[in-house]
Amino acid sequence: MSATAQAYLNTRITAMSVQLLDAQTLTALSRLTLPALAERFALEPVLDEQLSARAKARAVEQTLIHTLLADLAVLARPMTATGRGLLLSWARKYALFNLKTLIRGKLYELDQAEIRANLYDLPERVRLPHQELYRAENVLELLRVLERGPLRLIARQARESYEQRRDPFVLEAAVDQRYYAELARQAMQFQGAEADAVRQLVGAVLDRMNLLWLLRFRFSFGFSPSEAFYQLVPSKRLLHRDRLLKLANIDSFEQVLEALPAPLDALLAESKSLIDVQRCAGAMLLDECRRTLTSGRSGIARALAYLILREHDMHKLYALIQGRLLGLPQDVVDIALDLAEPNCPIGMPAAA
Amino acid sequence: MLRPLPMKHVRLLVMTDDLPQASLTLAETESFHPDERPPEVQALAGAPGRDYRERYRQAATRLDKIAKLVDVPAAPTIDQVHVVHPDELAAVSILLRERWDEASRFEEAFRRLDEEERFVRDQEAALDNFANLKIDLGKLRSKTRFLDFYVGIVPRENVSRLQGAVQLADHILFNYLERGDSAHVIIVGPRGERDAQLDSVLASAGFQALPIPSDFTDMDPAAKREELASRRAELAGQRDALRTELAQWEQQHRETLVDARRTLLLAEPFVTLDPSIHSAGHLAMLAGWVPLRALPSLAERLEVSLAMPFDLSFRDPRPDERPLVPTVPVKNRWLAPFAMLVKQYGIPQYGEVDPTPLFAATFLLMFGSMFGDVGQGAVIAAAGWYFRDKLGRFWLFGIMAGVSSMFFGFLYGSIFGYEELLPALWTSPIHEPILMLKIALGYGVVFIMVACLLAIYNRWVVGNIVGAWLGHHGIVNLVFYLSLVWGGLSLAGSGEFGGLPTLLVLGSLGALAVYGWRHLDAPAGEKVLVVFIETLETIIGYVSNTLSFLRVAAFSLNHAALSLAVLTLADMMGMTGHVLTVILGNLFVLVLEGGIVAIQVMRLEYYEGFSRYFSGEGHAFAPLRLRRAASGAD
Repeated sequence: MSATAQAYLNTRITAMSVQLLDAQTLTALSRLTLPALAERFALEPVLDEQLSARAKARAVEQTLIHTLLADLAVLARPMTATGRGLLLSWARKYALFNLKTLIRGKLYELDQAEIRANLYDLPERVRLPHQELYRAENVLELLRVLERGPLRLIARQARESYEQRRDPFVLEAAVDQRYYAELARQAMQFQGAEADAVRQLVGAVLDRMNLLWLLRFRFSFGFSPSEAFYQLVPSKRLLHRDRLLKLANIDSFEQVLEALPAPLDALLAESKSLIDVQRCAGAMLLDECRRTLTSGRSGIARALAYLILREHDMHKLYALIQGRLLGLPQDVVDIALDLAEPNCPIGMPAAA
Repeated sequence: MLRPLPMKHVRLLVMTDDLPQASLTLAETESFHPDERPPEVQALAGAPGRDYRERYRQAATRLDKIAKLVDVPAAPTIDQVHVVHPDELAAVSILLRERWDEASRFEEAFRRLDEEERFVRDQEAALDNFANLKIDLGKLRSKTRFLDFYVGIVPRENVSRLQGAVQLADHILFNYLERGDSAHVIIVGPRGERDAQLDSVLASAGFQALPIPSDFTDMDPAAKREELASRRAELAGQRDALRTELAQWEQQHRETLVDARRTLLLAEPFVTLDPSIHSAGHLAMLAGWVPLRALPSLAERLEVSLAMPFDLSFRDPRPDERPLVPTVPVKNRWLAPFAMLVKQYGIPQYGEVDPTPLFAATFLLMFGSMFGDVGQGAVIAAAGWYFRDKLGRFWLFGIMAGVSSMFFGFLYGSIFGYEELLPALWTSPIHEPILMLKIALGYGVVFIMVACLLAIYNRWVVGNIVGAWLGHHGIVNLVFYLSLVWGGLSLAGSGEFGGLPTLLVLGSLGALAVYGWRHLDAPAGEKVLVVFIETLETIIGYVSNTLSFLRVAAFSLNHAALSLAVLTLADMMGMTGHVLTVILGNLFVLVLEGGIVAIQVMRLEYYEGFSRYFSGEGHAFAPLRLRRAASGAD
């Protein structure tokens, strides 16, 4: 990336990052009424009396995703193909949400209109070939269609797994696994000054995911060490391949937490359940993103950090509006926004 | 021919039950171009065709998928035109689902055969590797009391993870060959309780076991290869059998599939119209554009075909709607190839003069005058005729360009570059270069003047009177240009520019400057600069554009000079050399100079002509149609 493009991108990110919500703003927002929230974030559907609460929530979610992806489009514009590829790989998770919705819809033979109502409307660069996918008559045909597009590796893996085991879980796990493997692969494409910063940040994303998946597969689903390890995507940061091999071979939840490398061991020492781990691992990722955003020099890493933080804000905002739409008590909303729970040792409000 | 076909905006109010019939009738008339704008009346918010469209798309997708496997004509003959009701469409969709279920089994079977063939190829590759290993691979065939063996193929991208996973089950993975997307691996480890775990991981990793022959140690590799070759032949046989089975299936269901296609084609107009249909309760509204001359027959057809009452009203397009009105393309066999070239630039906006006839005439005139040769023109015309099947509608272009070249060849007295064989009906360009340049310049003045007049007309008819007077290439510009030409001619004749021409030039430039000044929203300094540059640009633009036409004469001279050079070279050789040089030289002139002349003429047409008067921002009239083959063509 040229020095001019880097400077432009960094300035853009800095200008955009003023939109991120800090703890005080979030607390202030949590006290606002639904119409005030709708006005502040231009969420008109919330006020549409014709819509059901579910439709309103859906419309809000769609608007928030559009906002996030619009930010992504602005940031990707001055980037090189590699940088753009990384951001698009990260955003492809929304296309994969759609894919999972389609797969579930086909598996349970849902009506097309119902499937469509649950799909996100995404920009062309991220979206799947929907029309063709809708028309697929079953899961295998759907995956065959996908094998002809940019998601062919994910689709092929998913189809082979599904054909052998006919288990929707295997299919979705394969989709998720390929998503993170592709993100890791994209991070490895960078060279020079950008490479370290990007790998550190993507490593933090993978570390969080690996830790949660490892604990979930081993101790919630009862997978063997081999089966659990196979689903993971080693990172270049803390939870690299050899460490994951060791951790996967440990037979108790507490021992895994004890065997974690620093700073994860100290951070998670007090964690008693997967929920605690999830909260703290999320906080760790957000902390890494904030650090990258404020003191990082790589424009691409800062852009990805910004998007992760912005996505986190969107989740909070969605939780807040959903709470209001469902008429939940304020203390429950505060818990959803991590305003009422004790924080992790890292000292940041935790991620959902 | 220059004026567009008058169009009317039509509004058709029908009962929703009559919509499929109305759509079909409109499609049959082939005169209704849908207007997809949302209705101005808020009450018409319903979209009655949505379910129908969904059902249609599902059925059409199924048929399209089947048509990838077997031949289903895209537009069969339709003898009986009838309305396709939603129930009939649903029944066709269900029928096509059943057929697709059967057809997809063939598709899947072909894929399996592909995969099996790939597997055989992998086995052949493995065989070469096994033959080089110095261990008794026969022992790997079955699990021993203490050891487990897995020999097989996995996707390459899974090898690393699988290696880690088998390691956790106390096994080791040896990747001995990578081929395409696959990796050949051997996994070895102690037998025990972890076998089941490993099986699950292997399944997730897409592991395919490679069978090791029982007599591997004793078996001649050539014999094994032969066995694999026979397996391949067996697969080829299965493929042939599957093709035969598919052909039988196609034969059995052909009529059903063609009928389904007919039903979908009959349903298509309603689906195509869907975005233009809006409803409130039982009342639906259709809007579109119809050529004025087609209106009476359209009304008549609706009267006959619709069972329930309807209302057909029409009006002239409003000025603000002009960019939305479609333009009916020129339907003239001789102008068709020129229309294609005009379309490369754009489609005339409704109301704009269609430049195709003028383009055709000036193109042929300029091409012929720049490339005048009886022999070479005849070759171009003959080539157009000979390749008429490959050139499509464009072959006539070759014929006409060739004939034009021949016509000027007779005027110049040139045949294959020889100027002494044929008496010139007029004169050879190379002998009268100044005259040629003068004619080209005069032609350029007329060309630019006509272009300006068309620009003025195009603005005038759409009510843009100020634009017609003071816009680019408007009346004031034309006055300036003609005064400049007048003054220039006086200067050349009497040595003086003349008082009146000077006054007219200054007056028109002054008017343009004032107009430009008033339309600029900028500080005074910037205004002065912009107006000065624009005025200068007007003067330089018209002068250089006129001089640009000198190329017409230059190329006619160039053509004669090039031919002269070829003949001079030919005269330096013996008889055979002479003939060869003349043939090759003429080929060179035809291909290279012919191409350059065609490009130069296009440049003059597009840049000096179209850029003055032709916006090209219209869109073509695309009426609703019933796609079907002509009777007897199925």
